[in-house]
Parts: sequence; structure tokens; C-alpha cells
Amino acid sequence: MKNRKPMTLRQKLNTESVAGVICTMPFIIGFLMFMVVPMGISLYYSFCNYDILSAPVWTGIDNYVKMFTDDPKFWKSIGVTFYFALVSVPLRLIFALIVAMILVKSSKASAFYRAVYYLPSIIGGSVAVAILWKRMFAADGVINKILAVFGFPADFSWLGSTKTAIWTLIILAIWQFGSSMLIFLSALKQIPSELYEASDVDGANKFKKFFKITLPLLTPTIFFNLVMQMINGFLAFTQCFIITQGKPLDSTLFYTVYTYFQSFKFYNTGYGAALAWVMLLLIGLITLILFATKRFWVYDEGN
Amino acid sequence: MKRKLIVLLLTAAMVASMAACGGNEDGGKKETSKSSEETSNKLTFSWWGNQVRNERTSQILDMYSEKNPGVTFDGQFSEWSDYWNKLATASAGHTLPDIVQMDLQYYDQYVKNDLLLDLTPYIEDGTLNLEDADESILEAAKIDGKTYAVCNGVNAPALLYNKTELEKAGIEVKDGMTMDEFVELSKEIQEKTGLRTNIGYHHETLPEYWLRAKDLAFFGQGKLGVNSAQDLQTIFDLEEQAVKEGWHVDPSVFTEITIGSAEQDPMIYGSSAGSMSWCMFAYSNQLAAVQEAAPEGVEIGITTWPTDDLEKSNYLKPSQFFAVTSDCKNPEEAVKVLDYITNSVECNEVLLGERGVPISKSVADVITPKLDETNQKIITYVNDVVTPTCSTISPVAPKGASEVFDLLKNLEEQVLYGQITAKEAAVRLFEEGNVFIASGQE
Amino acid sequence: MTKGTKCMKKKRTERKIIYHILVAIFGLIMIYPLVWMIMSSFKETGTIFTTAGRLIPETFTLENYINGWKGFAGIGFGTFFKNSLFISIVATIGTVFSSSIVAYGLARCKFRGKRILIVAMLLSMMLPAQVLMIPQYLWYQKLGWVNSYLPLIIPYCFAIQGFFTYLMMNFIQGIPRELDEAAKIDGCSYYGIFRRIIFPLMVPVLITSGIFSFMWRWDDFLSALLYINDSAKYPVSLALKLFSDPGSSSDYGAMFAMATLSILPIILIFIFLQKYIVEGISTSGLKG
Repeated sequence: MKNRKPMTLRQKLNTESVAGVICTMPFIIGFLMFMVVPMGISLYYSFCNYDILSAPVWTGIDNYVKMFTDDPKFWKSIGVTFYFALVSVPLRLIFALIVAMILVKSSKASAFYRAVYYLPSIIGGSVAVAILWKRMFAADGVINKILAVFGFPADFSWLGSTKTAIWTLIILAIWQFGSSMLIFLSALKQIPSELYEASDVDGANKFKKFFKITLPLLTPTIFFNLVMQMINGFLAFTQCFIITQGKPLDSTLFYTVYTYFQSFKFYNTGYGAALAWVMLLLIGLITLILFATKRFWVYDEGN
Repeated sequence: MKRKLIVLLLTAAMVASMAACGGNEDGGKKETSKSSEETSNKLTFSWWGNQVRNERTSQILDMYSEKNPGVTFDGQFSEWSDYWNKLATASAGHTLPDIVQMDLQYYDQYVKNDLLLDLTPYIEDGTLNLEDADESILEAAKIDGKTYAVCNGVNAPALLYNKTELEKAGIEVKDGMTMDEFVELSKEIQEKTGLRTNIGYHHETLPEYWLRAKDLAFFGQGKLGVNSAQDLQTIFDLEEQAVKEGWHVDPSVFTEITIGSAEQDPMIYGSSAGSMSWCMFAYSNQLAAVQEAAPEGVEIGITTWPTDDLEKSNYLKPSQFFAVTSDCKNPEEAVKVLDYITNSVECNEVLLGERGVPISKSVADVITPKLDETNQKIITYVNDVVTPTCSTISPVAPKGASEVFDLLKNLEEQVLYGQITAKEAAVRLFEEGNVFIASGQE
Repeated sequence: MTKGTKCMKKKRTERKIIYHILVAIFGLIMIYPLVWMIMSSFKETGTIFTTAGRLIPETFTLENYINGWKGFAGIGFGTFFKNSLFISIVATIGTVFSSSIVAYGLARCKFRGKRILIVAMLLSMMLPAQVLMIPQYLWYQKLGWVNSYLPLIIPYCFAIQGFFTYLMMNFIQGIPRELDEAAKIDGCSYYGIFRRIIFPLMVPVLITSGIFSFMWRWDDFLSALLYINDSAKYPVSLALKLFSDPGSSSDYGAMFAMATLSILPIILIFIFLQKYIVEGISTSGLKG
């Protein structure tokens, strides 16, 4: 070791570990500058009685104790959020994948269709969607009119029932599958066409090709979408906030909306921060579980 | 070729972005240094409201600048809920605007946290002249005898109703209905017109209105102002009865509309007879928006909320306030602006009572003839119907009130859906409400 | 031409027609809300609710557009568009570039602390924005950034959105390592590999990210609400909300009109760029 010539600066900079650090430097700086401090402050608030307008007062774990022992709405909103995320995320992904498969061909028509299918994601959480969704699912809405054509009773208030209201939000979430679709599309295009050509020679049919080539090669993307959409699903806010605000009878009260109400409607900002950190732990745990299952089903190019 | 072009483009864009970021940074710095030089005569003025209000308020600020050379304004307007988020956040950083529009709902909390300037000395030395205003409306802004804000418009509780439809059925609504009369009327209307009743679900001040008739208050010191759950039962009883007897609008309607929006109120818009109401519990200034939203040919009437003792129940309410914040560097000038808005005829000829009836009587007299029919109707209602028979408004809502109101709405929803009885609802409101107020005082 | 191929051809066109019909019908359902909004923007503002069930306006009017474009208090809507374009474009370019280099570092280099960085990246996505609102405000205020566009732009130039970094990391992992090795033998440094090999191959994912980032910046109103005090500096997303006033009357017609205009840039960008996502140049690169 001692006899080795010292590396020049240029060489040093080109070692794998140094290059890694330099390349990731923007994020390291950004994370330290813009995330660590705010996250730290919010963690501190979660141990305080804080109402924004006056200075925070340290109360230890009171907020957390209250949450688990004396807050039925906490449990209610956790239930609603799990239901929403676990139902809407898989459906959204399946949908996005199917549509991406259909539209992957390069043609003028499919380019047009891709734009059409992506559009719902563009208008996202606008007021127009909020108003329209309420009108569509109202007792006299389009949905009931369509059902009436098929002979079903047609004056049901989808938003007014505690059983169906959440489904209107789930449908909205599925309807906006555009971003997952786009990611699937670009991944599908990344699959080398030689692989398909080779299997054509072997005489494989479409289904075989899908399960033997497409799906395995797509698993990293599926995994990515799954993780991202799970995080998004648990942190879903807009759908509930703009359309139902938790009504009827808290049956659509998303966790994040409840957190928001506590923080900015009731000014229990400390309690809101505590709620958020519990959610972070929950999502973290779920993500961890997803990562633990990764090696069983996600195709790894390295091997 | 294509690839090269893209790479080139992206690189160019990156350089441009860096330049832009840098440039912007300079811009930001310049601005802060500039604003510190000019703090003395540049005032930030923030409010919530719609296009009309933004237009008119900006105009009067320009007029003020013209009259007082050197004084300039940064007018900030936001949507209602955004406004409060922004204001709260700015208060945490002690960067509140100099003059803010304030609402009764938040007033107490802002005052208790020393975020608003005490205006009492300025009123005493005449910088802020409030002599032309009604005493009872000034009372509403006082906390422990001190005034922290100036009311910029007078309002009163008002029951709006579909006059055209009721006239067709030969029904006349009179001011000062009692509770029993209201119930009878509602039933009669349903029989004759099919229209149902919306008993002010989501109208959080109704219980207080009815408690006042019994010499009780909704909020007391560190607890609710009532002594038993029984006292709180009025609204739940009414709703329970209405749902049972079938003259209440279907509660599912409330999930299909944006509550508070004039255009979507069950009185204005409904898909079927079961979802439409003949009336709307509101405040007097809302008449303008509701009349505007009503279908052509429909006249909206205005009368008092039902109560068994009108004089005790009814009150004049400040629609909003203007206040100077404790972060203001030039309070003297800011207070002068408030005086201008309160007393200048010229200024109010632009504002035209959009925030409510001007509190200065002489100003109100001058602008009344200039208003359109609907706004004149509002002024007549406030001055001729409410002012003669009313009492002073209850003290401002304490901390924890928004949670109590939320609970109230939730319980009303459960009663309307028939999930709990009126009695159970009242008990829960009494017990849980007391806890919210008590923990708000900590 | 034999009978068999003719038959097959016929079958193929049949299938094509069915495909188009199905995709088109479904597409119609997908964009119905959008069409509804655009149609509503041509209705008289008072009739939007009463005629919500009908798509075609009784009378077409441009009044909403005229009224909306006027903006607020002398600040025309054009100003808001200019502001939004500036913020969105600069922040997007910053995000895409910083994320791509960070993603490369994470995907291709082994170094100490890499796992921690990945965990940090994921964690930073798990707190709702609303909770970070106040702490972030206090921090940016300390930095003297309040009332400027800096908080809306600078953080994004530091790959702060884990989503993009993770997305690109995933993409880079799909690029065969042999390409790196070959370049290394040719004397390329780690940075050279990124610049010459990886980055050019990343175009599809860069475009995808660009579209998302632009759209998210364009829609973001929360940070603008907190940090921009001067109404003339508002972006479109914030200005759109000014049409509604829950306490009194809202001008839904003007809001829909301006909302319709506000999605145009995103639609244009999407239509213009989407072919790069799907055409991709990855396959041609991989063959070489």
C-alpha cells in the first residue's frame, strides 16, 4: 500500500465512491437545506401544544397518547384511508398497465388516444372536477341516468350514502391513471425488440410473450409505480378535500384531510404534526414491507 | 442528429435556468432592501373576496395614494380559506401584512395572541373617528374594553325565501315569526308547493340565536354557556321533527353541493322537489349574491330568523373588520387608512356597501340612493327591521369554538340521517363541546 | 394473393375497427369531464348549475373569457400566465437536470451512505405538504426568501422531489452495464459516461419527468400562496381560486374559462413531447 503512487486529484475524483458522492451532492445539499430543517421543526411541533398564533409549548408525548386513546376520528380516518389506498392503488395500476399495453403501438391514432387518456390527470384537482363529480353522482346525475337505461332504480344519491360515497372518490382516483400509464409506456418501449423477435422465432403466442417477456421485464417499473402510488394513496388529499370534505358522517374522511383540519381549521397544529408523523411511520412500514418482498418478484437486470 | 439537437437544447435550457435563478436571486434581494427603505410609507393590505371586491378595494387604495403622496400599497387578495392559512403562517413568522381584513370567527384568537394593534388610543385622540357609528356595532369589536378592529359593514341574521314561489301559492311571510309559526308555515308550504325546508344545517350560529331568547349564551367562560344538555336541544328537536314529518330536505343533498355557495344552495338549485328548500338561513349581505344566483323572474324575500323572542335573539353583526397588525411599522398611517375607509364618502361611493352597510350613518345615507334595488332592500332590512328590535351581539367565539361548531354540524348530520335522537345529540354536544372549550383555554 | 391472406386481411381490419370503436368510446368517457368544463365555460355563468346535466350551452357566450381575462384589480390574466410559465419552466429544468445526475450516482456508483440517501429520498415523500407548510415558511423566511420566487424554484434545482430521482434511477438500472464498461475501457470517466452515454439514453424518462414536473409546478398553488405577497406575481393556479368566494358570489363561468385556458399549455406540451416518450431512442442506442 505504502509503495503505491499517490493518486492525482483527477484520478481521485474518478473513483467510484467519490463520483457517487459528487453526483448525489445536489440531493445531499437539497435534503439538508430544504427538508431536514422543516421536518425537524415539524417533529418538534408534534411534541408540543402549538396553535400557530402563539409559541409552541412542550407537552411531551401527550399528542400521541391522545391520538391512540381519545380520538375516535383518528381511527375512523385511518380505516377510510387504508380502504381507499388498498382498493384504488391496485385498480389504478392494473388499469394503467392495460391501457399502456393497448396504446403502446406507434401510430397517429394511438398518439391521439394517449393524449385523450392522459387528459384526466391534467385537470387533476380543479374546481371543475369537484363540481362535476358531485353533479355526476347526484340523485339526478348522469350515472343514475345511465343506470336507468339498463333498468336499475335511478334516484340513488351516491354521495349521500355512507357506503357508496367513498367509491366516488375511488373512481376519481382510478380515472386519473395517466401518470402511471405514461411511466408504463416508457418502460414498455425500453424492452429490447430483439427479445420479441427471438420469441417470434420460437413461435410464442401473445399471452406467452406477455408473461414470459413483458411482465418480468416490467416488474421493476411495476414495483416503482406500486411504491409511489401507495405513498400517494395514503397521502391522498385532494379528492376528499374538494369533493366530500369527509361527508357523509365522516365516511370519506381521509387521514391527510383530518390532519389538515386539525392543523388549520382547529389550529391544533401540534396535534396535526403528530398525526402526520404517525402516518409517516405507517407509510414507511408499508414501503419497507414492499421492499422486503422485492426480491421475490422483481426482475433484477444485474443477475 | 435529433439526439444531438435535444442535448443541445437541454444544455442551453440549463444555462438559461441557472442565469434565470441567479437573476431572480438578485431580484429577490433588491426587493427586500428596497422594501426596508420604504417601509415607512409602503403598506401591505390584505383581504379575501371576489372579483368585485378586489376591484373596488384596489381602487380605493389608489385613491388614497393619490391624496397622500408617498403612501403606496401592496394589495393582497386571496380566497377565504387560503386567506386564513396565509395569515396564520405569516403570523408564525411575524410577517403579517400591515392592514388585514378580520372575521369575527378568528378575531378573539388574533387579539389574545397580541397580533393586532390596540386602536383605543387612536380612537381617543381622534385619528380614527367612530362617532358616527352605532354603539352596539362598536361593542362587538371590544375585548376587555379595548378595540382592536373597525367594523367595515353591518350585517344581520336573515331568513331568505323564495318569494315568487310562495306568492303563487298565496302564502305571505311576516317578519318576527315564532318557532311554532315557522313549523306551521313550513308544513303549509310543503302541502301547497312541495318545497321542503332547510333548517340551517351547517349554520353554526343558530343555536346561539335561540339560546339568546332564553337569556343564555352559547359560549361561557371556559365552557359552554348553558347549564344542561336540554338547552341545546332546540335545533336537534326541530330537525328530528322535520325529518320524521317529511318536510326537511333530504340530507343527502348536502353532500352533493358546495355548502355556502349561493349558486348551489337548495333554495336556488335542486334536482327534485325533495331536495329544494323554500328558505335559507343566511346573513343580510348574502341576499345580493343569492338574488344574483336565482333563476330569472324569481324574487328572493328577506325576513328575520324564527324565534320566540325577537328582541333578545336578534342582533346586528359586523360583517367583517379591518385591523392593523402588531407587525405594522407605521401604525399611524395605517390607522388613517382605516379612518378613510370608515368616514370618507368618496371612498364608500366606490365600495358601495359591498362588505355590508357602512357603519357611519351619514356615509350610509349618502350612498343608499346610489345602490341597486337588492342592496337597498338589504339596507332597509337592517335599518328598519333589525335595528329597532335587537340587542347587543354575544361575545366573540373563544378558542376551541371551531371544533365545537364542527361537532355541532356532525351531530346535526347524524340527527338528519336518523342515526341518533335529538336528545343524544344534545348530550354529546354538551359534554364534548365543554371539553373542547376547556382545553382551548389551557 | 391467395384466399387465405385475403381472409386474414379482412379479419385484421375487422379487429382494427373494433379496437378503434372500443378505445374511442372509452376515451370519450375519460374526457367527458374535460369537455363538460370547456362547454360550461361557454355557458352564461348563471346557468352553469341549472343546466349541469346538459353538455351543449343554450347560447354560446364568450363573456366568461372576456371577464376572466380581465383578471383582478387591473392585473390581467396574461400576467398570471407569464408568472406561471416562468416558475414552471425554470423549476422543471432544474428538477430534471439535478434529478438525472443524482439518479445516475445512486444507480451506478457504490459508496458509503448510499442506502441512507435512498431512505432519505423516500422519507421526504411521506410527509404531507400541508404539515411542512409552517416549518418551511419559517425557514425560508430566515433565508430571506419570502416574497420572491426563490422558494418556488431553488429547492427543485436540488433534486428535492424523490419521485423523479427514483424514476430515473429505475430507468438507468434498465440500461445494460456493458455500455458503461465499454466506455470505461475507452477511457471515459464516471462523469463522461453520464454525459456521453447515460444522459442521451435517458431522453424518454427525462421527457416523462419534464411533463410531470411542469404539470405539478403549474398546478401548485400552496407555495405561491405562502411566499408571494404581491398579487401581480401570482401564478395561474392561485389566481384561478380568486374567482370563488364561498361567503358571497363566485364567478364559475370565468373560473371555468380561465381553467380551460390554463390547461392548454400542459396539453400542448404533452402532445408535442409524448412521441419522444414512446418512440424512445433507447432501442437504437442499445443495439449499438
